[in-house]
Amino acid sequence: MFGWKGKILRIDLTTGNRSVEDLSPELCREFVGGRGAGLKILMDEMDPRIDPLGPENKLVFATGPLTGTGVPAGGRFVVVSKSPLSGFIANPCCGGYFGPNLKYAGYDFLILEGKASSPVYLYIRDEQVELRPAEHLWGLWSTATEHALRQELSETLDDWQLNDLSIVCIGPAGENGVRFACIMADGGRAAGRSGLGAVMGSKNLKAIVAGGTGSVEVADVEGYRQAVMGFLDEGRENRVLYARRMYGTWSLPGRANKSGTQATRNFQEGYSKAFEWYEDPNHVRDHIRVRDEACFGCPFACSKRSRIDDPAYPGTTKGPEHESMALLGSNCGFGDLDDICRANYICNELGMDTITAGATISCAMELYESGFLPEEDLGFPMGFGNTEAMFALLHKTAVREAFGAVLAEGGRFVAERYGHPELFMGVKGMGMPAWHPQGIEIIGLQYATNNVGGSHTKATLPFYDGRRDPAEHLKWAKYDQDYIALVDSAILCWIIYHGPLWGEKLQVWLKTVTGIDYANEELALMGERIWNMERLFNLKAGLTKKDDALPKRITDEPRVKGQVVHMDRLLPEYYALRGWDENGVPTPEKLEELGLVMESGDKDDANQD
Amino acid sequence: MRIKIDYAKCTGCRLCQVACSLQHTGSINPQRSRIRVFVGEDVCLPVIAGPYTEAACNSRGKVVINGLEVDGCVVCRASCPVKSAFREPDTGIPLKCDFCGDPPDPQCVKWCDPGALTLVDA
Repeated sequence: MFGWKGKILRIDLTTGNRSVEDLSPELCREFVGGRGAGLKILMDEMDPRIDPLGPENKLVFATGPLTGTGVPAGGRFVVVSKSPLSGFIANPCCGGYFGPNLKYAGYDFLILEGKASSPVYLYIRDEQVELRPAEHLWGLWSTATEHALRQELSETLDDWQLNDLSIVCIGPAGENGVRFACIMADGGRAAGRSGLGAVMGSKNLKAIVAGGTGSVEVADVEGYRQAVMGFLDEGRENRVLYARRMYGTWSLPGRANKSGTQATRNFQEGYSKAFEWYEDPNHVRDHIRVRDEACFGCPFACSKRSRIDDPAYPGTTKGPEHESMALLGSNCGFGDLDDICRANYICNELGMDTITAGATISCAMELYESGFLPEEDLGFPMGFGNTEAMFALLHKTAVREAFGAVLAEGGRFVAERYGHPELFMGVKGMGMPAWHPQGIEIIGLQYATNNVGGSHTKATLPFYDGRRDPAEHLKWAKYDQDYIALVDSAILCWIIYHGPLWGEKLQVWLKTVTGIDYANEELALMGERIWNMERLFNLKAGLTKKDDALPKRITDEPRVKGQVVHMDRLLPEYYALRGWDENGVPTPEKLEELGLVMESGDKDDANQD
Repeated sequence: MRIKIDYAKCTGCRLCQVACSLQHTGSINPQRSRIRVFVGEDVCLPVIAGPYTEAACNSRGKVVINGLEVDGCVVCRASCPVKSAFREPDTGIPLKCDFCGDPPDPQCVKWCDPGALTLVDA
């Protein structure tokens, strides 16, 4: 097969069994790879009702046919599993080199199941696949884990062989089952949302090392080469991509703030005085950037390594990205860049999702300021803007110490525990990202209906020409959800390929790399199929209409621009557009159109309100 | 002609390795590339394969590039018996940059979007 390697590596951590299975061409054809094929594997093999932190849960590390080919901005991988944060489907994507390196080792998918009896790491180098003891790594922070592993491996591998290995690992947060723990990759990148670090930790798996010497074949070498050349030329002319090259996402906080849509003080406001400084993104770049750090095959290198002048925070880390700046910064009531970098650094090193961590702490800050969270539970004051309290709590959360054990369960749990569930600003237990939905109503619907929860990466913003008419926003929201399901399956980078940017290129890459000439309608149908299948997973896991909801603050209290998000109007319209019934369950006609079947019982589960 | 490397511009994307392996092997395999990028924390170092040398040398000293101290072996262009880079992974046959033919038309330079690689008169 062109593009795909055609192999699945399966590891049973309970028994230590390893097997290599052939990848079915039908699966590739129908679900492309990545998020789509990973989901199909889970649906076929796993009951969505299982405990996400139990040995029955599976982790599917998935690449796509484009991974490792060098398709510009196509170097990502995705991890598909059941989320311990939401209880629903999880599919965070991550950049760096791990995806391509897994592919060069010879595998499209890595399926991890069961639970090791003691801490292990998985070593994959071509056919050499070993589970090795990792007691000595347990407890280490993510960068320290990577350094220790590289040191250990340097006994048998030279500098260049080490250079072509990737490491993904968990930090203490994942080990301790923090429900928003990340899987960290390649020195500071993260498969961040949904808490899959905790799933890895529940399996006693500290790290995965992958690399290999294999090749990826493309169907049409000359066509592929020309398409890349053309893309690079277009990319140099593109204004949006210029901003990505220069600033990554650092041009966004100032812009969001200026337009009044920057999540501030637990979404009580959409504007932060301190963030005026960010309106010139050069301020950020000049202050913390060390170098531009590209993912495999990406000419744009939007990711930036950063450093701050503080010996307590040695070395460099990745980011912070816009979402981290907002959730760990303005949303917690402060704006000093060094402080945001400290919080980002702590989250990266301990292996926690910066967005949900920020949303959880900002929720606790508001509970405290409102008098619902007594100071004796905390041991110290923690109002908005109290950075010292925040740093301390981030550390405590990762090891579940004192009040950290409460925060480790996620913001929804914290808010419910103190009797005010409405103060957690999230969807399906996952903290909402930076853009305040009251500034841009359709974003509210996108957060609410996202299969994984309050995430920004499964749909795009209606900022582009041809998409500004509010009457068409709903149509575009659905279109983008379906399209990005494919982008995450191929796998391309959402940052570069979202929305109208290069929409047609997906087809070109799939054709030149795999040789399969997908028609536009077929691609649209495939994206919709993936979205609906995720919905079926969630329904079976217990999702009801009530889970497609925004916090009351967003729908009932006009905090930003005097606007609210009219979910009572938008949600039925969205369900109808999707071909779902009034409870958000796909109709039999829709499922038939998509070639999906609903097992008997799914619908009954869904309607148990 | 020679290929000039500006370390400060390299982002570590390895498209040069993709381009090189595609040109020379017809498939994509960064480890069969005649150019390799060493990714450090603070700087990325593209290294272009030079001639094969039959014996390992003793020049294992440190060199400083853009403030980063690296092992001289890493940035050495030679293909040699003790180094895994610049040899075919399966057969061990040495690899050497040929500038993609005559006249020189190096694919790595064409694919290098950040401009870290440029073709200049020697």
